[in-house]
Amino acid sequence: MALDIKDYNSPYQPTWCPGCGNFGIHMALKKALIELNISPTETFITFDIGCNGNGADTVGTYAFKSLHGRSIAVAIGAHIANRKFTTIATIGDGGCFHEGLDHIVNAIKSNYDITILIHNNQNFALTTGQATVTTPQGKKMYALPEGKPERDIDINTFLMSLKPSFFAKGYSGDLVQLTDIIKKAIKHKGCSVIDISQLCPTYNRECTPEWFNENIIKLDTLEKYSSSSIEDAKNIIEEMSKTKKIYTGIIYANDSIPTFYNRLESRKGILSELSEEVKEYNIKELLKYCN
Amino acid sequence: MYLERIIIKFGGESGQGINTVGRMLTQSINRLGLYTFSSREYPSLIKGGVASYQIDISNKEIFTSAKKYHVLCCMSEKSLHSYLPSILENGIVIYDGEELEFSPDEEIELQKKNIHIIYLDSEKIALENGATKIMANAVLLGFIWKILKQDLEILIEEVLEMLSDKKIDEEAEKKCLLAGYNNPQYRNDFSISIDLPKPLQTNRKLLITSNEAISLGALTAGMRIFCGYPMTPATSISKFLGDTAHETKIVFKQAENEITAALMVMGSMYMGTRAMTATSGGGFDLMIETISCCGITETPFVVVLAQRIGAGTGVPTWTGTGDINTAVKGGHGDFPRCVISVSDAQSSFTMIQKAFNIADKYQLPVIVLSEKQIAEAIYSIDKLPTAEKIERGLQKGEKRYEITDSGISPRWIPQKGLKPYISTSDEHTEDGKSTENAEEIKAMSEKRERKLEMLKSELPEPKLYGSSSAQVVFVGYGSSKNALLDTKQHRDDIAYLHYDYIFPLKTETLMKLAEEGKRLILIENNQGGQFGKLITEECAYQFKEKLLKYNGRSFSLEDILDYLDN
Repeated sequence: MALDIKDYNSPYQPTWCPGCGNFGIHMALKKALIELNISPTETFITFDIGCNGNGADTVGTYAFKSLHGRSIAVAIGAHIANRKFTTIATIGDGGCFHEGLDHIVNAIKSNYDITILIHNNQNFALTTGQATVTTPQGKKMYALPEGKPERDIDINTFLMSLKPSFFAKGYSGDLVQLTDIIKKAIKHKGCSVIDISQLCPTYNRECTPEWFNENIIKLDTLEKYSSSSIEDAKNIIEEMSKTKKIYTGIIYANDSIPTFYNRLESRKGILSELSEEVKEYNIKELLKYCN
Repeated sequence: MYLERIIIKFGGESGQGINTVGRMLTQSINRLGLYTFSSREYPSLIKGGVASYQIDISNKEIFTSAKKYHVLCCMSEKSLHSYLPSILENGIVIYDGEELEFSPDEEIELQKKNIHIIYLDSEKIALENGATKIMANAVLLGFIWKILKQDLEILIEEVLEMLSDKKIDEEAEKKCLLAGYNNPQYRNDFSISIDLPKPLQTNRKLLITSNEAISLGALTAGMRIFCGYPMTPATSISKFLGDTAHETKIVFKQAENEITAALMVMGSMYMGTRAMTATSGGGFDLMIETISCCGITETPFVVVLAQRIGAGTGVPTWTGTGDINTAVKGGHGDFPRCVISVSDAQSSFTMIQKAFNIADKYQLPVIVLSEKQIAEAIYSIDKLPTAEKIERGLQKGEKRYEITDSGISPRWIPQKGLKPYISTSDEHTEDGKSTENAEEIKAMSEKRERKLEMLKSELPEPKLYGSSSAQVVFVGYGSSKNALLDTKQHRDDIAYLHYDYIFPLKTETLMKLAEEGKRLILIENNQGGQFGKLITEECAYQFKEKLLKYNGRSFSLEDILDYLDN
């Protein structure tokens, strides 16, 4: 029986502001999972703290809403325990690039086979609009009547410097493209990172749908762009730095980088998952390693 | 003053190889059917400083290092001067090098105590015997073996067996052992006071550190993922589990920090495997937000907190039990937890298994306390206890956080086809939805608290070692047990009430002893008497007597005897 979007819904309604980008991101995620025919009982989603985290109640999958900045590390632990699950970590730009910056760095470096969705609304919205590293310098934010004093971080350049095996950019207002990107990210063997520009009509009013339409260029409209070319990826990242335009689509994908788990000698040739292996272990043969 | 105990101490700089020679001697003595207790002291640096490896030998199980020694063998001048004052009368000092000068005070002491000094340039002797510098250890071993009046053949056999997987020149190694054993500096009158106790059994003992026993216990309990971050004195747990992963097939992960290690354990446990992390105080502080999260999400969690002394960085390679408070009380919000304290190799092996069962069955974080003194000491034991039965308490249900009388809700391992559920760090309803409803907040919090009541009712009372007629009863946990058990061999008029479970806390036995008018003495390796205050909080009993030690050193039997005599 074909899966339906309802299979991915819980009985509870979202609490986001009208026009919030999270609606689009959640819809795209659910659509991607359905189109890949992945059952909600084989899906594990972690949530962070913030507006994205408030979506936790609305999904009908196995899920864990952890702590601020921590959703990636929880997803990694669960993924290693049982790789049969499709594991998705969702996190905001605040959680990802402030509180839990080390987690995305090491997730990319280790290349765990999970998908990370960065809900990037360029501010801490749930605490009513504080500046994040993605907020433009000088912009007036909560408790910053003179504007944000710090420079912002160019997260495209930063993420690409970590040599991800999959890096894409999406937009919460383009459901069709975002669904397609998420599907490719899930299918990718390795750590897939999607930076999703997200509408925030309450605290990021400048970035309206019209603004995004003017500033987004889809990679597949470019004459020559290959997501398997690191040169193309580097050029487009540089282009984004210079022009402040947003290029959406798969920036870079490389399936030849082994995942963390596949590099482990101790797990070579083992078909079972660690979650299936909890039983008494006979330590007799290990005593020779003592002292 | 020591009953049936011979003590040998090696001193030197870190990196000079005292651990290797110490370990070889320990194993060789162990081969004789004798028990040993070996303990290392070392500074927090890689090369230099003053480090030691002390071997206490007995024909009964022993658990602590004595403060004084019969033989002192030093490889550096600094270590010789620093350890010389505690040598016993008629003791033997072996200095691995050229003749050196002692201060006038030292000379007087040496004369008074009738100390024999031997200069044994082991490197020179090794080279003379066609061996390499690295075999210099064998010269020292041979000489000490002669002092102990033991059969050279046994030593040769044992040493060669230990080195069998290393490509060494066996003939040269033998020659070095022989050169040490037959060194002309040996005199028959040396070892009047150095008589090894007669072995009561002939079986070889298992030499094991508590960190190794914890690792083996965790594996026995079905732990399949270990995530850690290096921090003394917990680090050797990760070494053992990482080094044996090729055999155990577990996933060993050195995480980017303790925060990640803890979070990964939480995620792994949610997904239904058994996972563990291990750290010391500073790393534990970083894990506390995750422990609180495990509390509210009712996710099983197991962490080993191997304590060292001090706040901040403290004294990284020295012992203490100052983390009782943070283990029992650290973390925001009300949530149930269990805190266990190990005391030696056997208890480490057993208690870590119990920790997993409690974590699974009661769906809460379990903190397993150890101490530098326990974690890295090398115990000689006959064998490890039998394995504990794995109990997980898994149960399918409709609502993951169903409110029950016991407080324990159904928990099932995520699996295709089974009803999915969310675990959220927000306060939540029975089906895991976040809530701000006043009744629901209260009911869910009370449900979780009931688990603690049930756990408490199922935990055993602390164990009383010694006669119930003893008037003096020490009360403690962790490594205090070792000092008390060693003291009991000297004094049978004292008893010791030992706590394996620090929280929730059982106080019936203690209160009974108090009512009987016993002289109760709290013994703790921290300044604040943290456990004593916990007892007061639980049952209002206040200790009139406290034996507290907080200088980085563990309790020795001398400490207890001195306390009783004064």
